[in-house]
Amino acid sequence: MLERPEALRLIDAAFADQPLVLTLGGTIREMLAVVGQKPNHLYCLDAMGQPLAIGLGLSLGVSQRVVVVEGDGSLLMGFSALTTVGHLKPRNLILLVLDNGVYLATGGQPTAARDTDLVGVARACGWAGARDVDSSSDGLREALEWAASTDGPLLMRVPVSTAQPTTDFFLEDPVVLGRAFTDWLVR
Amino acid sequence: MSASFEQRSEAVIQGIESIDPEFVLHLPSSTLKLVLGHFLDGPGARPDRRIFPIPREEEGISILSGLALAGRRAVMIFQDNGIGNMLTALLTFPQPYHVPIFGIVTRRGGLGEYNSMIHTISERSERLLNAADVRYFQVDGRTPVEDWAPTIQRGYAFAQTTHRPVFVLVNLMGG
Repeated sequence: MLERPEALRLIDAAFADQPLVLTLGGTIREMLAVVGQKPNHLYCLDAMGQPLAIGLGLSLGVSQRVVVVEGDGSLLMGFSALTTVGHLKPRNLILLVLDNGVYLATGGQPTAARDTDLVGVARACGWAGARDVDSSSDGLREALEWAASTDGPLLMRVPVSTAQPTTDFFLEDPVVLGRAFTDWLVR
Repeated sequence: MSASFEQRSEAVIQGIESIDPEFVLHLPSSTLKLVLGHFLDGPGARPDRRIFPIPREEEGISILSGLALAGRRAVMIFQDNGIGNMLTALLTFPQPYHVPIFGIVTRRGGLGEYNSMIHTISERSERLLNAADVRYFQVDGRTPVEDWAPTIQRGYAFAQTTHRPVFVLVNLMGG
């Protein structure tokens, strides 16, 4: 099964110069471990449930593709944004749900995502495209190529393992992070 | 003589129009029917402006944040009984990240209220915002109606100047 750090490496490589909104916790720390700190990455340190809606606002405000990397637990917390995205239909919004089925950062408690057809929900909400991605490097690579050439909004559910490499805490000042991202975005 | 509901609504419309928002996010509110009507079906419904509903206040906070990071002008219009909903989102993204977002909050539960329950949450609005250190300004029946629009305009500017979320609480029912 695909491990999250490898998925993050592939996502960064596919959208190396696009605004990329990162969900909280281990996802941020693992992205930092894999590719380092980047100005096009918006690190949502503890904004659980918000990355999709933040990405939606960004996608309405800029012309380039906006990529949101979300977990299944955080997506469920901000689930209503799926309907707003389907209503507004931003063609430049891509959502990658790295679905490990658990709240990994808090000890691995199960989420309800295992019984939820996220792809079906996105389609029912009016998203332009949604697909389940094979949990392999090649499967994700192929899906990212599809996303890069397809009008959105697009949702991709990527099953990932619960393996969690040891990483350092990321304790940067959020003001600095937000300002660095904005400076990059409006450069 | 105090202003009428229609005059107060028009003042809120003028205040929002003075900001010239590119995006107007709204939640349902019976006291906002004239204000929302201006943007949904009236002169405020311009081709270069995006007006859309949002189902929850916290989602609106996040969308406003993304728009602000992209340098776009936006306002969210909602009722004070949604303040509790928005606080976690507000205090975990735009407030700590210093993102200048702006909202118009209509008051409920005061003089003239017809709902027997809503005061239970609405009367606690100021205390909720104060406890969260959220900056806000207020206009109501004691405020000359000619001051309403400038307060909204200056509230928006204050958010930009001070790099933080700012809200203007408006009591369209007067009390």
